[in-house]
Amino acid sequence: MNLQQYLIRRLLLIIPTFLGITLITFMVIQLSPGNPAAMKLRTGEQGMMGDEMTREIVEGTKRLYGLDKPIWIRYGIWLKRVVTFDFGTSYKDHRPVMEKIAERLPITIELNLISIFLVYLLAIPVGVYSAVEQGTIRDKVMTVILFILYSLPNFWVAVLLIMFLGGGDFLDWFPIYGISSPGMEGAVFLSRLWDHLWHLMLPVFCLTYGGLAGLSRFMRAGMLEVIRQDYIRTARAKGLPEKLVIFKHAMRNSIIPIITLMGYLLPGMLGGSIIIESIFSIPGMGQLSFEAVLSRDYPVVMAIATISALLTLVGILISDLLYVWADPRITYEAEA
Amino acid sequence: MSRIDNSKFLIGILFSFILIFPLPVQAAGPETPVGGDWLVRHIGAEPATLNPVTATDVYESTINGYVYESLLERDNRTLDLVPLLASSYEVSPDKLSYLFTLREGLKWQDGKPLTSSDVVFTFNTVKNESVDAPHLRSYYRSLEKVEALDASRVRFTFSEPYFKSLEMIGGMSIIPQHIFSRGDFNTHPAGRSPVGSGPYKFVRWDTGKEIVLEKNDSYWGEKPLLNKIVFKIITDETVALQVLKRGEMDLMALTPVQWVKQTEGRKFNRAFAKYKYYLPGYSFIGWNSRRPVFNDPKVRRAMTMFMDRDAILKNLRYGFGRVVSGNFFYESPDYDRTIEPWPYDPTKAAALLEEAGWVDSDSDGIRDKDGVKFQFEFTMTSGSQFADQVSTILKEELSKVGVEMSIRPLEWALFTKMLDDRNFDAVIMGWSLPVEADPYQVWHSSQTEKGSNFIGFANREADLIIEESRVTFEKEKRVQLYRRFHRIMHEEQPYTFLFMNESLVALDRRFQNVNVYPLGLDTSEWWVPTKDQRYR
Repeated sequence: MNLQQYLIRRLLLIIPTFLGITLITFMVIQLSPGNPAAMKLRTGEQGMMGDEMTREIVEGTKRLYGLDKPIWIRYGIWLKRVVTFDFGTSYKDHRPVMEKIAERLPITIELNLISIFLVYLLAIPVGVYSAVEQGTIRDKVMTVILFILYSLPNFWVAVLLIMFLGGGDFLDWFPIYGISSPGMEGAVFLSRLWDHLWHLMLPVFCLTYGGLAGLSRFMRAGMLEVIRQDYIRTARAKGLPEKLVIFKHAMRNSIIPIITLMGYLLPGMLGGSIIIESIFSIPGMGQLSFEAVLSRDYPVVMAIATISALLTLVGILISDLLYVWADPRITYEAEA
Repeated sequence: MSRIDNSKFLIGILFSFILIFPLPVQAAGPETPVGGDWLVRHIGAEPATLNPVTATDVYESTINGYVYESLLERDNRTLDLVPLLASSYEVSPDKLSYLFTLREGLKWQDGKPLTSSDVVFTFNTVKNESVDAPHLRSYYRSLEKVEALDASRVRFTFSEPYFKSLEMIGGMSIIPQHIFSRGDFNTHPAGRSPVGSGPYKFVRWDTGKEIVLEKNDSYWGEKPLLNKIVFKIITDETVALQVLKRGEMDLMALTPVQWVKQTEGRKFNRAFAKYKYYLPGYSFIGWNSRRPVFNDPKVRRAMTMFMDRDAILKNLRYGFGRVVSGNFFYESPDYDRTIEPWPYDPTKAAALLEEAGWVDSDSDGIRDKDGVKFQFEFTMTSGSQFADQVSTILKEELSKVGVEMSIRPLEWALFTKMLDDRNFDAVIMGWSLPVEADPYQVWHSSQTEKGSNFIGFANREADLIIEESRVTFEKEKRVQLYRRFHRIMHEEQPYTFLFMNESLVALDRRFQNVNVYPLGLDTSEWWVPTKDQRYR
């Protein structure tokens, strides 16, 4: 079985999986208690409605949202539209769902990309270092620091940073809300970029430091595994310099599992951090999904769920391909 | 605490506000008001839309209060409905027909004339089934016909007399027909860029960042003084306060803890003035009277007397607010101030339980009556710190006297469903009140099945009072009826009435002529001396 056949098989498998995922999601969301039509009416309570009137209005709103049809027909209609990438309009403001997502996706992806990149950039050397220094006092100090970082809740750190570095009472080093300063629209590109990056500093820090601990432990474990192997001993016995042994022979092999993890990060790109986004007033995906679920905005929830499902499926496929590419001992036959 | 807002009919800039303490109101200097400068305000979230018909959030009404206008408005001082777009109105003797005459020379912000056909279009839109405005439609159930007699006169016909009809007509934002009649109403782009007739016109909306309005130079009425009104969208209140302290905002609402702990410094008070006002509304615990444990007024009164409301108010909200004894706004004449809230008295409360027949007959530590144990579930919306603390205090108090209470937090969507199904023992929540409240929706016995009377309160006398007051057009008579109603509420305790909250606000001191009215701050009369102006 060659790569092409394998790919075609895997891509065809995505179709039934995708159908299953969306069907279950659709049912779970629509059958969970809470009714968007009744919730809309609630906002105008203390009025002068009679019982009959209330019922009529809720029914009318259901018709307006297309919620009066049986659920399997609704799923059919939804699926037919989704095939053409039409996710319908939001109940909240009647704007096309795709437009709302497109508005918020760039900043979320940007934040995630920067923080994932930083996590990897820092975690790999930290992991390698503590593996090489295993058992020394330096390794222990590093471990303690990482665990402390790991256990600090990021909303707490965010608020402290804002209090102490965000002007007002103490140091005024960083802007503390949004992703750019007002009135920057007309500025030159470079200063606009600088202003934007300056705004991202604190949120990126809050999103990064926690992940750093997890990944560097992972790297350390992988590295320790490899260092015990015979070929490392052989390399050292040949008299190779220690740097070469560690970075060429050991690190390349222990990095494989970490690389393959990257495939699974793809769907995570879509979901913003609700907490960090609301603290720093960043209009990203986290806020959007959270509000949509709370207000039972079915079209928005379904669109986000569908896109993450697709990304997850693609991510798993990429992971599998990366495995084969990184480790010659794994072949497509073994998978089949 | 979840609020259910009825802000559509609170005509004014902020909610109804009342002053309680003499506050440092800045006297205008000897100079005359000058134009210029901006007002930068905080809003805690983005409005869903700026379409005044389909919107349901308070952010929209805060912003559109500058852009759109209604036929009538509430006078800052007297709270009476006075002409705005309308120059006059007449009411027929049978109170079924209202004839409004528009002012001359009214213009939309794009220069087109505003006529009676815009008014007719507005109300027909609200009544239209395919428009996503169920929350508004419910108010106009008895509005049968809206017709334009000529370019400046409109007649409204109702199917039944109701004292709030005038407010219903007068309070609705009038929208431009020439803009909204093209295309689908719900998705109309004017929801993202409104065109109204008011003193400020829309400039831009940066999603998630800010919404900017600027002075409408061709405004038909008195020209506003401030050049721009900027709304900054900052979701986190801690961050918002920092931004205020940095001088990047002028006006924001404070939380009690911010008022007491974070804005007391000399530096802050040099730059900002703080104001407090009562908000029309109250929080409460509703006892489901369909449950055998809560169908006796004595038991409900006992429940109230187990709550040390003064201490709770002091500890949870730093004393900002007031314990209330009934369902009307404390500052309105409808509220009978001679009725004192039931005191905190656990001994007497326990005696009331005994009196009502709830005794521990099988010595298992829990009171019972006719084989029913006194156990109940206390439902609240999750994430409400206030509800969380109140319920914990009550649970503790009740466990000492043989009443077992369990606490159940639910997310808002589930919570409302549970209310609709009447499937609860006790709930904690709050109501916002309009300036003139009508108890019908919440307290009339006809509303127990599907309306907002979810606790199932049914009282013959109360029903009669409600029915009579709805067709009583003399305010004085209504006040008498409502005071009697208040007394019934107090005796029956269908709710344990908790607190009316206070709104707390900080404002930059450079603004002059800041007055606190019963309806809140009116930003349209503010101005900044030339030497203090910050923005061009």
